[in-house]
Order: sequence, then C-alpha cells, then structure tokens
Amino acid sequence: MTEAPHTVKSYEEELKNLNSNVIKMGGFCEEALGKAIQAITTRNSDNAESVIQEDEKIDKFETLIEQQVVNLIALRQPMAIDLRETVTALKISSDLERIGDLAKNISKRTLLLNENLPKNLVDSLIRVSTNVQKQLKAVLDSYLERSAAVAINVWESDEQIDDLTNLCMNEVISYLKENEKNLEDGTHLLFVTKNIERIGDHTTNVAEQVYFLVTGEYLEGDRPKGTEPIVTGEK
Amino acid sequence: MNKIEAKNVNVFYGEKQALFDINMDIQEKQVTALIGPSGCGKSTFLRCLNRMNDVIDICKVEGEIKINDYNINQKATDVVRLREKIGMVFQKPNPFPKTLYENISYGPEIHGMAQSKDELDQIVEDSLKKAALWNEVKDRLNEPGTGLSGGQQQRLCIARAISVKPEVILMDEPCSALDPIATAQIEELIDELKKEHTIVIVTHSMSQAARVSQQTGFFHLGKLIEVGSTDKIFKNPDQKQTQDYITGRFG
Repeated sequence: MTEAPHTVKSYEEELKNLNSNVIKMGGFCEEALGKAIQAITTRNSDNAESVIQEDEKIDKFETLIEQQVVNLIALRQPMAIDLRETVTALKISSDLERIGDLAKNISKRTLLLNENLPKNLVDSLIRVSTNVQKQLKAVLDSYLERSAAVAINVWESDEQIDDLTNLCMNEVISYLKENEKNLEDGTHLLFVTKNIERIGDHTTNVAEQVYFLVTGEYLEGDRPKGTEPIVTGEK
Repeated sequence: MNKIEAKNVNVFYGEKQALFDINMDIQEKQVTALIGPSGCGKSTFLRCLNRMNDVIDICKVEGEIKINDYNINQKATDVVRLREKIGMVFQKPNPFPKTLYENISYGPEIHGMAQSKDELDQIVEDSLKKAALWNEVKDRLNEPGTGLSGGQQQRLCIARAISVKPEVILMDEPCSALDPIATAQIEELIDELKKEHTIVIVTHSMSQAARVSQQTGFFHLGKLIEVGSTDKIFKNPDQKQTQDYITGRFG
C-alpha cells in the first residue's frame, strides 16, 4: 500500500491484516488450481486428494475475511480507499472461495476418470488451464500491486479463455460421440472444462474488483466474450 | 441551482490571512457540509455567508458572496434583513433567557411578520412543529427555554431560526454537544428542512457529513481543497489531502 499510515495504528494493522489474508487466500487458490490441473493431466491421485482436503483451508479464509470486514464496517466505518479495500476484500474472497470449490470439483472428477485419456484431450485441457492459471496469477499480482492496468488486461483476456474452452468442449463432444464407453469419462471432462472456464470467469470478477479498488470507478460495458458456447446435443 | 456563490473570498484577522481565494457554489435546497481540521477556516467561511464576521473588529472580508445573485458584501446590504434571510444555529444551544414562546416569537415580532396575536401564535406553533419540538413543549410554552434538555434546546434554536422563514440556515457544529439520540433527531430535522431551506453545516463528524449532506467541501489551512458530491468525496475523492483527512491519515 502506498498510502500514508493511519494515525490510529490498530486500524492500520486491521486493514493490513485483511489485505494480507486476501493475498494468502489467493495463494492457496493458485496452488489448488495448479495441483488440480496437474492431477488431471498427469493422473496424479495424491495431488487430487490434497486439493480436496485443502479446500477447507480456503473456506476458512473466506469466513475469517467476512468477519474482519463486518468488524471493520461496524467499528471503524471505513471511508474512501479504506472503504473500497474493505468492500473489495469481501467480494474477492467470495470469488476465491468459488475458485477453490471448482478446483476441488475438478479433483473429485479426476479420481473417477480412467487412467488413459486421449492425448488430444489432455493437450486441450492443458491449453485452457494454462491460460486460466496465468490469468489467476496476473489478477492476484494486480491486487498485490494495486495495478488497474494489469486488472484491465486480465478482464480483456477472458475472451481467449472462452474460445479455448469451446475448442476443448468440441473435442470432448467428438470423444463422446466416438464410443458409448466414453460416456462417463466424457461427461466428467465436460464438467472439468466448464469448471476451468468458470474459474476464468471468477478471475475476471476479481479483476473488476481490483479495478474498482484502485480507481474508485466501475469497469463499464460488457466483458469481452469469445465465440458462442457449444450447445450439446445439437446436430 | 446555485443559491450561494462565493467568488475569490479572502478573509484576514488583522495581519493573519484565514481564508485564501475561496470559490464555492452552494446548491439550493440541499445540505452542504464543510469539513476540515480545527482552524482550517470552515467556520470563518460559514460566518461570511451572513456577515457574522462584521462583529469582529479586526476581521476583513474580500471577494464576492452572492446570494440569489446579490453580492452581500456590498456596503448597502442591510445586515439585519440579511440575517433574517440567512439564519444561524450554533454549536452550543443558546436559547434566550425567556419563555419558550418568546424564544420563537421574538424574531417574527421584530421583523413585523405577524399582524395579530393569533398570527404570532400560529408562527410559534408552525416553527415548533417544523423543528419537531411541538409535541414535547406545547403544554409548557410559558416555561423558560433554558429548562429544556440540550437536544430540545438545540431544536428550540432551530425553531427560532426558522420562525422568520429564512432561505438559508447555517449550522456550526449543531450536534457536538448532543447525545446520539438528540443528534439523530437533529439529523432527521435537517433532512426535513432541506425541502424548504438551503442548509450549510460545519461538522467535525465525518459520518455526520456523509449522512446529512449532498455536497461536501474540505478545507485545510484556509484553502478549499476539494468540493464535490458527498458521495464522491467519501468514496473516491480527487485530492490526496481529502482522502488522508477523511480516512484518518492526517499527520
């Protein structure tokens, strides 16, 4: 934070502590997503198990941040930048919690998938997830550095994720059509792909919050969207 | 619409300059809050608006203060008439050492606003009702005003100010001596009064400024640092000094 310190030191500490909890929570989400993707692409069940177990830690951070925010509003009545810090911490923590849940869901499905997935599907998943991981890292950096420019960049890049998701979905649908035996794995893979895309959406929400935190303005207009999503079952 | 326009206002107490080139527009039928640390000039500016600084010998006011487009700093201005149009409520409730009734009737009487006792009674009743005090005092109008509680006395002073139907009401920290309940009653009253009057309030309570006003001006060391919608000032002020002050970062 580049702001001058508050006259009341305990207030300064409470805001710093809130900020540091959001950063820590973001770090755990980044780790969970990384492990979940690694688990599904390298078929590492230990990693998948670890993501499932560690999600509780992320949930606890959300509760802690919510309590801190309620206390700050009730006891300190934050204004201007402090108000934006407080409100955005609450909203960001809620998006991060969802990211944690989605990573957990990917991991649960990983444990149900067969050992050998077609290489083209794995490659496709890696392409989307690499992008989403990059975005999540960038948005957390933008929060840490209070950078509206980086936040806008993340916001504008959601389009790429949508496009890559649709390509991945197409491949999973072809895989489903190939053989009835692919039904179970294919269905899990559709959800996994969708979950990765949703993580991208939550990342974009965080970018909007960071932009508001830094500038006090709301990002105007519709978020850039990629190609229309695939409607499954269509001839 | 602008009710008051201050242009290049400079105020000096002897050699010492207290206000520097203040330019500020005050909107009609809105509440404008003036905030800033002690000694920043906010009360001095408030007192410029009804020429209360005239009573301080060493005080010199330069620049224009236009109310309804009329520059009140002209020599020809009748300050008694001016203060009839621009009432004032002070930090400490200061009822006259007279009855409740006389506290309100005094102004309308000297300004010749009532032709009969009935008319005067009506003005007293209306003013006390508008100040949300009528129900509490209607049965003891002949008791001294100084016998009321602090919050009631302040509402009595507001009733006294509005009895002469001012267009503007200036309030200098009107709640600083009151408890939270009396404060809430005054704030509710301010909300009501702004339907008919333009209000300018000096307050040290940031949350009060945020609650009651639509426009806020931040003063520091005799300068108007920033003025804007209250919403903007408390969510995202333009000036770093404003932000430092309202967030408690002032050195």
